Amino acid sequence: MIDFEHVGKRYGGRFEALANLDFRVRRGEMVFLTGHSGAGKSSLLRLVMRLERPSRGRILVAGHDIDRLHATQVPFYRRQIGVVFQDHQLLFDRSIYHNVALPLEIQGVEHREAARRVRAALDKVGLLYRERALPIELSSGEQQRVGIARAVVNTPALLLADEPTGNLDPQLSADIMALFEDFNRIGTTVMVASHDLALIARLRHRTLRLHEGRLVADEEVA
Amino acid sequence: MSRQPSAPRGAHSQRPTGSMRWRAWARHHRAMALDSARRLLRAPVGSLLTMLAIAIALVLPAGLWLALDSARLLDAELEESATLTAYLSTAIGEDEAGRIEQALATQAGVADTRLITAAEGMAEFQQALGLRDALTRLEGNPLPASVVVRPADPDPQAVRRLAEALEAVPGVDEVRLDLAWLERLRHLAELGQRVTLALGVLFGLGVLLVVGNTVRLAVENRRQEIEVVTLIGATHAFVRRPFLYSGAWFGLGGGLLAWGLLTLGSDWLSAPVSALAASYGARFHLSRLGTEGSTILLVCSILLGWLGAWIAVNRHLAEIRPR
Repeated sequence: MIDFEHVGKRYGGRFEALANLDFRVRRGEMVFLTGHSGAGKSSLLRLVMRLERPSRGRILVAGHDIDRLHATQVPFYRRQIGVVFQDHQLLFDRSIYHNVALPLEIQGVEHREAARRVRAALDKVGLLYRERALPIELSSGEQQRVGIARAVVNTPALLLADEPTGNLDPQLSADIMALFEDFNRIGTTVMVASHDLALIARLRHRTLRLHEGRLVADEEVA
Repeated sequence: MSRQPSAPRGAHSQRPTGSMRWRAWARHHRAMALDSARRLLRAPVGSLLTMLAIAIALVLPAGLWLALDSARLLDAELEESATLTAYLSTAIGEDEAGRIEQALATQAGVADTRLITAAEGMAEFQQALGLRDALTRLEGNPLPASVVVRPADPDPQAVRRLAEALEAVPGVDEVRLDLAWLERLRHLAELGQRVTLALGVLFGLGVLLVVGNTVRLAVENRRQEIEVVTLIGATHAFVRRPFLYSGAWFGLGGGLLAWGLLTLGSDWLSAPVSALAASYGARFHLSRLGTEGSTILLVCSILLGWLGAWIAVNRHLAEIRPR
């Protein structure tokens, strides 16, 4: 699903954020990405989302070299990836329902169909009863679940998450990770960046460990 | 995984047909038009101030244009009264004068002619100057007979050519034409047109700046929203749309206000202007914006608002990069 072929990323010509990354994530796999902050986890995810372009090497997503996408194709590429952010990036001027509906609105999905999908996604994260609420009325854990509902409302083939449990207590973190496992179980490829090593160790998925921009360990779990 | 359906799941249900896509596009346009109107209404004072600034910028060139339009009517009236006077040699008698008048009337470019005999000329002169006593003491009539010629084409060049042709007719002593004032009026009108055009361009730029600045602030306020929707696959057109609509609404509001100000203004000025013109013996009325003028004003203001928003959004879209 994701192929990194000797990928490097430099910022400003000097700082090397990522160096010679070479790995493959198979379709339907769930992968953790760990490392200290500054190890390059976010840079890697930004490359997959094509917010940045690699300085060297090639990134293939579903077999396509994403560096060769034309600027006008990039939005259509991003629509096929669900992304969960650490600070959930909800829009505070609209209800939970409309936050989750945003990707469908962008794609011009018809209202009734959109409503059906939004409710299914909210139901999945257990927040259907809060659809009319504003994000500000929700707890941090609930906000993150809304963020996840928005990321999956499209049923994307690839789900990326950048420190999705960064601000949550251990129990909430475990709940969030369980959600990702659920989506993975129904076939979604999931890549989660996290430095919560204790939690990752318990979940037993393949783990890519970054250190100073290099891939230092690729641990498959049987 | 570009536009081609390559992802096994998820992609199939998102691939809309052409008509579905068109309907979604129309739906989003409608939603954004309403949404941006609602946003303007939510900040009524700010929106009204922006629209007033636009209106004021539009009123000056539009008002000048109206004044010029009125002057053009006056110009036409004046041109109609532009005539030539051919003075015949003093030795010519009345019969001869009649024949010369016939000759002049058959010249190309002459609309009609009127003979003023020496006696008639004298009578007119006396009446105009009130010099009856002084003139009766003169021996004989020193005035020549004359023929007033109305040219078919009132264009100064054509009139001048006609004058030369008439001067060549035997028996005609001199042809007088007083075109200087007509030409001055034409130059003034042209100057007015150019000033109006220059002001129109300048104030049009002013409208662009006003709308651009307002939209720039709106973009800044919705920066997070723009970043988020860009992250989840919004096209630039999608991001731009609400701002373009608010620009167009600002333009429409400004245009309507300008229209109102112009109508009020011309009503307010029309009585003294007509009275002033009447005191000079001219028929002059301030033009009002007709249906055509009003449409042009509104279309221009909407387009300017839209364009101002477009420039502002595009400049900022380039700056806004999702973190």
